[in-house]
Amino acid sequence: MLESTIALIILSLGLGLAAWLAFVWAVKKGEFDDPEGPKYRMMNDDDDDRENGSRRD
Amino acid sequence: MEDDDRALACCHHCRDPLPADGGFQSERDGTQYRFCCRGCLGAWSIITGAGLGDYYRKRSWQDSGGMAEVFAARYDDKMLARHVRQGTEGDELAFLVEGIRCATCVWLIEKIVAELAGVYQARANYGSHRVLVRYDPERLTPARIFAAVARLGYRPRVLTRDNLHRAAEAESRDLLLRFGTAFFLAMQLMGYSLALYAGYFQGISEFARDFMQVMAALVTTPVVFYSGWPFLLGAWRGWRSRVPNMDLLVSLGVLAAYFYSLYATVAGGEVYFETAAMIVTLILLGRLFENSARRRAAAGVDRLLHLTPDTALRLEEGREVRVDSSDLRPGDRILVRPGERFPVDGNIVAGESEVDEALVSGESRPLKRGPGDPVVSGSLNLAGALNVMVAKSAAESFVARMAGLVEEAQARKAPVQRLADRLAAAFVPLVLALSLATLLFWLWRGIGLGPALLTAIAVLVVACPCALGLATPTAVLVATGRAAGRGILYRGGDVLEASAKITHVAFDKTGTLTTGRPQVVALSPAPGREGSAALAERLLALAAAVESGSTHPLAEAIVTAARERGVALNGAGAEQSAIKAVAGRGMVGQSLERRIIVGSREFLTCQGVIIPSVAVAGVWAGDKEKTTTARASGAWPGSAQGPDLPPLTEVHVAVDLNYVGVILLDDTLRPDAAALVRELERRGLQLLMLSGDNAGVAQRVAAEAGIGRVFSAIDPAGKKEIIEQLRSQGAQVLMVGDGINDAPALAAAQVGCALAGGTDIAVGSAGLVLTRDRLGDLAPALALARRSLKIIRENLFWAFSYNLVTLPLAAAGYLAPVYAAAAMAASSILVVANSLRLSR
Repeated sequence: MLESTIALIILSLGLGLAAWLAFVWAVKKGEFDDPEGPKYRMMNDDDDDRENGSRRD
Repeated sequence: MEDDDRALACCHHCRDPLPADGGFQSERDGTQYRFCCRGCLGAWSIITGAGLGDYYRKRSWQDSGGMAEVFAARYDDKMLARHVRQGTEGDELAFLVEGIRCATCVWLIEKIVAELAGVYQARANYGSHRVLVRYDPERLTPARIFAAVARLGYRPRVLTRDNLHRAAEAESRDLLLRFGTAFFLAMQLMGYSLALYAGYFQGISEFARDFMQVMAALVTTPVVFYSGWPFLLGAWRGWRSRVPNMDLLVSLGVLAAYFYSLYATVAGGEVYFETAAMIVTLILLGRLFENSARRRAAAGVDRLLHLTPDTALRLEEGREVRVDSSDLRPGDRILVRPGERFPVDGNIVAGESEVDEALVSGESRPLKRGPGDPVVSGSLNLAGALNVMVAKSAAESFVARMAGLVEEAQARKAPVQRLADRLAAAFVPLVLALSLATLLFWLWRGIGLGPALLTAIAVLVVACPCALGLATPTAVLVATGRAAGRGILYRGGDVLEASAKITHVAFDKTGTLTTGRPQVVALSPAPGREGSAALAERLLALAAAVESGSTHPLAEAIVTAARERGVALNGAGAEQSAIKAVAGRGMVGQSLERRIIVGSREFLTCQGVIIPSVAVAGVWAGDKEKTTTARASGAWPGSAQGPDLPPLTEVHVAVDLNYVGVILLDDTLRPDAAALVRELERRGLQLLMLSGDNAGVAQRVAAEAGIGRVFSAIDPAGKKEIIEQLRSQGAQVLMVGDGINDAPALAAAQVGCALAGGTDIAVGSAGLVLTRDRLGDLAPALALARRSLKIIRENLFWAFSYNLVTLPLAAAGYLAPVYAAAAMAASSILVVANSLRLSR
């Protein structure tokens, strides 16, 4: 009974640790830096070519 | 490895195709290398000369090409000096490098910079392209470091706002990491705590309980000392400087719970690790919200600053050199190509173009600009290349000034907030005393050390006036950020607060209620065979045909009127080929068939045109309302001008000595002025107008706008006196003005409001700036201020009542620390969420 509890606790710690590592990786990669941007970026992918884009707006 | 064919056709350094003449070549170790330009050859010589030839084998470039123009870039020690930080072991220079494409580039830059005489340490970061150099200022100058990097074909750039941006980004990442970690561990802890709770009621084996307690201690430790580190640090700073702060309160609560539980784990007894963990987690969540509100507000500033390009083409002895915009100095000549934005404020030296100032001034029509005209940073060059003389450095140009104003607003604290800060400082010792008294009281009552300590901890936690501290700044931040996006600039929380309490609004006349620019108000053609409407149209078309090339305000007004009425200019286009302008008097357009003369009465008379003494009734079908209001008295100049009418500007037109008619121009009311006045009166504000003009003019404009109280013929000091007099009677006055003459009155009023088109000094002495130069923005500005004050009061009410209700509960022992923490976080979130309502 107790052995299985301890095994479960260690398992949950391992799973939690994996999730935490994924979270740390995502933060370090900058996934959460700009929560607003992506939804706009998909709308204007070609914003960078200023040479011919001046009169469009 | 280098492919031989490729090496022959491409520059060995930058891999661009070689020029037709084969470019430059050099030999080393029996192999011939070819280069596209002298700069690449130089870079190659430096790299191989330093024994770093490996660079060419290791690098993994996706694409060819470099930035050829950077080889010749010059850097100035004086300009770089302010980016140098003095340290104990030499000076530190941090800069960004453009043109880094792979890890080898970073390696190369590090090596080359490190080999400069006098460099202690050079470190380059691939991710951020940031290079940090520590060097001996006696032996090396920043310009030489920059030049060394530039000679390799990379462009070094000083860190300006990017620096701040990155710091803010790192800070929010750090906060998120701390919160995420605390959250993850708190979830784990919850499991153990639940087991311990269950064991407490249903019985649990000694071993299982100890095991759970040790596990709980294990997961709580990082929460307190890693996630909670910012509080501990803040508490330590507050303690050392003898300024009790909120961090001190939080840290005391957390540490007390943690160390008591640790003691209980060893000595036996109930543990309260979840209390410590929950306090940290929930407060971090509150900070996360606060941080995102702050970033939302800062995004407005960034949007503003990104209007200007980072680099500019400077003309140096006929050559075009790309330099940082921040290196431009007044007097420099720069080239701005079509499609580019102006990096700085300046004056056009050569070239003609149309400029879109929509983002800067709100003027939606492209404006024609030619030699001598000023251009504003951030506006867009639409048509032709312009040679511009720099008038102000990037840091002093329009966009940077506006951004500076926003930042100033976000830094300045509202009086209400200062009150909250003082309150917090007085609050902390009081709460500490109360907590100690609670502890002693419960010990005296003999409930044991553990429960007594817990009650004392609950008092500490619940008293934390976080919500109180958040109440004003979050509302001010969100409101100013929201306002900046709509072209309204509050220069501080105090201005926001004062704007909400305004009872009187005083307007300046010229340039504020009126546009400050002449506009066509009437057309008065000489009688002819055709109908008067057709004659009026012909009159306008003729004048516009000649004037369309000019940037004179009168000419612009006539051309604008022609466009508005849809009068075709091209029918008379032939005259444009030979137009002669006589400065200050008029213009003559000459074609094979005819000669059009446009100008003042004297100018036409000099040209031999006879102007009839009686002009006919005006026709202005394009904008009836404007005509009727402006000409309410029905009198026409040239015939019988009413005594109380302002001197209108007349532009007469003749074709081959035949008089065609006269165009009348006037400084008209802003289109949104009357609507604003109605709106403000509807809200119960007292309106008045202060004008330096004579009574007749002032009365007419006031009547058009709908303002009843008029003070006319007063000088700048008089305006200030009137405002001060009103204030002494208890009125809260907002003054709207644009000129240098309004500056004293703007400063004297509770709130000075300037329009962005106004003079620098007016904008400088105003607390509220309407950046789109639209008077109508004043109504939403005042509405937003009122809403903000209402929200701030709500926030303060919630925060205070929360503390008032929960403190006695906690002291009486009815509130476990974990609920106190949850309640506190809930009140903080409530306050922040309430403030965020302003952004909608």
